[in-house]
Amino acid sequence: MAINVRNEGAKVNSNINVTPMVDVMLVLLIIFMVVTPMIQQNLPVNLPQTNNPIRMENADKEDALVVGVGRDGSVFLGTTKVSPEDLTQKLKDRLATRTNKEVFVKADARAKYKFVVDVVDNVRSAQVDQLGLITEERKKKVPGHS
Amino acid sequence: MAMSTGGPGGQTADINVTPLIDVLLVLLIIFMVINPPNSKGLNALVPQPPPPNSPPEPPDRTIVVQVLQSPNGARSRLRINQLDVSWDNLGDQLTGIFKTRAERIMFVKGDPEIDFQDVAEVIDIAHGTQVVDKIGLMTAKIEAGQ
Repeated sequence: MAINVRNEGAKVNSNINVTPMVDVMLVLLIIFMVVTPMIQQNLPVNLPQTNNPIRMENADKEDALVVGVGRDGSVFLGTTKVSPEDLTQKLKDRLATRTNKEVFVKADARAKYKFVVDVVDNVRSAQVDQLGLITEERKKKVPGHS
Repeated sequence: MAMSTGGPGGQTADINVTPLIDVLLVLLIIFMVINPPNSKGLNALVPQPPPPNSPPEPPDRTIVVQVLQSPNGARSRLRINQLDVSWDNLGDQLTGIFKTRAERIMFVKGDPEIDFQDVAEVIDIAHGTQVVDKIGLMTAKIEAGQ
């Protein structure tokens, strides 16, 4: 008489299947690799609203020189804060090796114009004559300008 | 002689594509959420001071749009050369001036205490008229010839 021995224990695998977790983790890693540089580019500026801006593809490039002007007059070159007096020298250093001497100014709509003029003067001293004023396109076109 | 064919419940040769589709859908959603930065803006020029012994330009040909601060916080006023204009008429006035001209350059000058939004709007209106090719930003230092 044969005794039926249950032998299911030999088949049970006690390892956790980590493959789906690793999949998800890798995807998350890729997401954060892609997103992090995009987030860092954004300065806390409230861009002016305009009706007729043109596409500025050069401003999106990695090596674009973007000067930010905050509402309180703080000046940023890229993401680092600089003092207005140092801006000329820093721009000169960065522009020395390149052929297209275009600088973009990303100024807050509520910033006093004197801060912007100050930046423009410093940019001009770095022998730049082509400026791009980054603005936002109005969602709704205003016919006669507010 | 019986051929042994794969009966029901035998191995299937189909690749399991479900995880692949999962990952691809997640990536699709990610790239839908991340919208690429598309900067828009207005072109402007910064005039460099003329060389010291160059003949001065005929002054009556230069068009300078001034943005003047209004007292008690009202909207800033506009002036083309010495002529007062309203915000609504600025585009028409500029069209009238530049329609017959060959060199379509105008300058923008602003009071220190006005918001940058107003200056951006003047440049926007000028670009919107399609008659102004080049817009220069006047600063106090340029006027002083520095």
